[in-house]
Amino acid sequence: MARPPGYKNRIELLQGTLDMLILQTLLWGAQHGYGIGQAIRSRSGDVLQVETGSLYPALHRLEKQGWIHSEWRPSEHNQRAKYYRLTAAGKRQLAAEHSRWNQVSAAVASLMAPPESEGPA
Amino acid sequence: MSFLRLFTRARRERELDEEIQAHLAMAARDRVERGADPRAAELAARREFGNRTLVQETTRDMWGGNALRELWQDARYALRGMRRSPGFTAVAVASLALGIGANNAIFSLVETVMLRMLPVSHPEQLVELLQKYPGEPRGLMPWSWRSYEHIRTHNHVFSGLFGTSIDNRARLEIEGAEPLTGIRESVTGNYFPELGVKPALGRLIGPRDNPQRPEGSVAVVSWSLWNRLFHGDPGVLGKRIRVVDLPATIVGVAPRSFVGLRVEAETDVWLPQAPQQNGLTLLARLKPAATLQQARAEMPVLYRFTIEERAAGSQDPQMRRLSVQVEPAGNGLATVRDRYGKPLSVLMAVVGLLLLLTCVNIASMLLARGAGREREMALRTSLGASRGRLLRQALTESLMLSAAGAALGAAVAWFGTGALLRIIASGREHERVYLRVQPDFHMLLFAAGIALLAGLLFGAAPAWMAFRTAPASALRQAGGAGETRVRRLFGKGLVAAQVALSLLLLSSAGLFLANLASLEKADLGFRRDHILLAPLDPASSGYSGARRARAYEDLLARLERIPGVRSATMGGPTPIQGAGASGFANVEGFQESEADRRWISICYVAPQYLETLGTPLLAGRGFTFEDRASRVAIVNRTFARYYFAGRNPIGKRVTLYHVTLVPEPRTYVIVGVAGDANYAEIREPARRGIYLPAFHDGTVSGQILIIRTNIDPQAVAGDVRRAVRDAAPGISVARTTTLAEQIDASIVPERLIALLSGFFGALGAALAGIGLYGLLAYTVARRINEIGIRLALGATAGDVTRMVLRDALATVLGGLILGAPMAIWGRALAVTLIQDLPVPTAVPFALAGAGIVAITFVASYVPARRAARVDPIEALRHE
Repeated sequence: MARPPGYKNRIELLQGTLDMLILQTLLWGAQHGYGIGQAIRSRSGDVLQVETGSLYPALHRLEKQGWIHSEWRPSEHNQRAKYYRLTAAGKRQLAAEHSRWNQVSAAVASLMAPPESEGPA
Repeated sequence: MSFLRLFTRARRERELDEEIQAHLAMAARDRVERGADPRAAELAARREFGNRTLVQETTRDMWGGNALRELWQDARYALRGMRRSPGFTAVAVASLALGIGANNAIFSLVETVMLRMLPVSHPEQLVELLQKYPGEPRGLMPWSWRSYEHIRTHNHVFSGLFGTSIDNRARLEIEGAEPLTGIRESVTGNYFPELGVKPALGRLIGPRDNPQRPEGSVAVVSWSLWNRLFHGDPGVLGKRIRVVDLPATIVGVAPRSFVGLRVEAETDVWLPQAPQQNGLTLLARLKPAATLQQARAEMPVLYRFTIEERAAGSQDPQMRRLSVQVEPAGNGLATVRDRYGKPLSVLMAVVGLLLLLTCVNIASMLLARGAGREREMALRTSLGASRGRLLRQALTESLMLSAAGAALGAAVAWFGTGALLRIIASGREHERVYLRVQPDFHMLLFAAGIALLAGLLFGAAPAWMAFRTAPASALRQAGGAGETRVRRLFGKGLVAAQVALSLLLLSSAGLFLANLASLEKADLGFRRDHILLAPLDPASSGYSGARRARAYEDLLARLERIPGVRSATMGGPTPIQGAGASGFANVEGFQESEADRRWISICYVAPQYLETLGTPLLAGRGFTFEDRASRVAIVNRTFARYYFAGRNPIGKRVTLYHVTLVPEPRTYVIVGVAGDANYAEIREPARRGIYLPAFHDGTVSGQILIIRTNIDPQAVAGDVRRAVRDAAPGISVARTTTLAEQIDASIVPERLIALLSGFFGALGAALAGIGLYGLLAYTVARRINEIGIRLALGATAGDVTRMVLRDALATVLGGLILGAPMAIWGRALAVTLIQDLPVPTAVPFALAGAGIVAITFVASYVPARRAARVDPIEALRHE
């Protein structure tokens, strides 16, 4: 399938990372799919764009795992929307993923840190 | 999938749809709030959202339980596809039904005749002991009681040896029922214990059952007889039954599954065999540690006893050359396997090839159709269908086709098996075969197996094509000329393979048909047409020999007066009846060494016999009614040549001894020489034969009326019966038949092979024709642009037609070249399986090739015409 130019330049999220971001977003309160996408995007300063093809499967997967729960209710514009909220299990999962993320990112950062002798290339 | 789950599934689908709808609405609203035009905002929101179907598809994947749902979807989709192209579906399902049905029908016979084990304990340990007379394909001589005892006491390989003596036409009389003819076995006391058969009721025959008790023998009846004549009444025990005029008491009922040791006939009643009584068929159970090879090594040693015994009691020098065979008998006695094993193997191969051809045919049609659906496949890939999913889809379609074919094939198999059994049961009386074909686990497994295999086989190519569809390129082509080279070659290859397979099928069919034709046209030494045979049965008439002779002489005179009758005579055996009398001859003035002595076939004939049958009288005279008082004989040409070597045999004396049913030697004066004629079998080397007067010594031998007619022989049957009633009241006429039918009945396996292979060969060729038509029609449709350009540039309709024909012929020629070595190999194989195939010629090949070329032209006609009629303007606009 032909892809729009520049596609590669966007950051594609690893699956586990997306799950964590969703859970983190829901920590602030229940939200619908569109809202979650928008929140991740705006909080990352437009760096992270969540593809709908990843977002919705992730939401349904997380719900199946029991980490989030969904219910239908009217949105701020009085439109029926499916809101997801974090469950207790989801909070525990978020904590676990967060600490794992900290480990991984610290490790990646130390690997990527430039050696003392050389300046940035 | 349960109803409830389907229901929740539908709700989830709806919710997902709504969720996405809400997403789009919110995204659009955001844009409108930022000042965009509502329509543009909606479009932008959709664009940003991306491939909605793909999102739904991947989201659904998260729900689990997809396999069944997708299967259901695929199945529904396949059904829609089948409905969309009813012509293709009908041809595919019909040819599959024939292919699968034929395979199932033949396999059910193969299973019954060759594979099914007897329902006894450890059938694989059972062997049959056969005595082979030199020159016979298989030993069918019965064993003596003394040989039975000798082998039983001296062998080291058998845990048990038991015998049975079978009477296929035993008269059974039960109080309160019509007497009937059934099959009786007289068995040694260890028969049932060795077989491990348990009674359904009462007890079976054991070692202590002596048939010569004053109150009569004991008897065991079959389950079938018990139900037919006693209506399953347990009170059958203790009832009296007369078997061949001897009284017996029923002590038990055999289990339903056990009907004796043969697959071609069912035993009705078992009696104990009297000790010292000869005429046994011997079976043995191998010791668990012993092998067939060990038994085959030991038996010839023990068999010397039997040879001595036989040679002592016979004048036949060939007795010293008898040999013993040990054959596995777990599937039942060997006779029916000998007669039908090889023909059935040939037919199994033929229908297997037919099914293969069917599969290739459907594969090629699916491929052409798949090419038409390339864009659809590409579209579905772009819309988010995974390749695995498309592959599964293609295979589901194929398997549904094969399942439909198999379901219809079950009906074909049912009728086919019935028809086959009727053909097989049409043999001569003494070798008639009644098979009981019961559907069993093996047959079911086979049916399911070949249906699945067929589906995978013809589904593989289109599935592969679906798998490697490159969506972009397929979508880009507007339906034009960009078909891949691989696919085109593959399509042609499939058609060539069909041509090759049908060449193989057609040429073997030609071979078998030629064989049948040569048998049907063979000069047998008599004319087989327009002869009615009417066997007389004097059994219950109470006539003396002399009275019979007088009545028959009168009868023959009456028969000649029936309108339509040219001449009437009587005798026995009649040609190709398959049985007869024989004896040895001492010819005056001829010295013969022991080893050269051979059986002479003897035929009892009334006056006018040779004329009626159309056997030429080469010298001397035929018989007259005056010959009843004198001992005269007519010899055949082979006899005359062997014993007289060019001298005139007329007036010479010949002494016959050891003649069937004649205790003392008799001397005859030769009064005539007749041409050779085949007597026992349609295919036999010329044998020394002699004709003796049927009317002799105040009585008559040979009880079959032989009537030559000017009209359909069966048309005079009613008049013949009336004449018999008038001339010889009390003597009955058994079933009348024609000589042609009697000969046909002797070549049932040959006819079975010829008819079926001919039918399947024609079917295969027709399928190949359809395959070729499909390929050409598709090619022409694809090349319509090119053809238009050619025509616009000045090509004539003839050029275009030639182009299409050239294409067709090249493909077919490729198939013929591919098929030629296969056909030659097939013939070599057929020659090893079918005895006495006619001298190999190229005729069947040439005919098969010509037939295929003819079919090529028929199949090319419509596509070529369509190509020639292409309107250049239309074609160019077609793009």
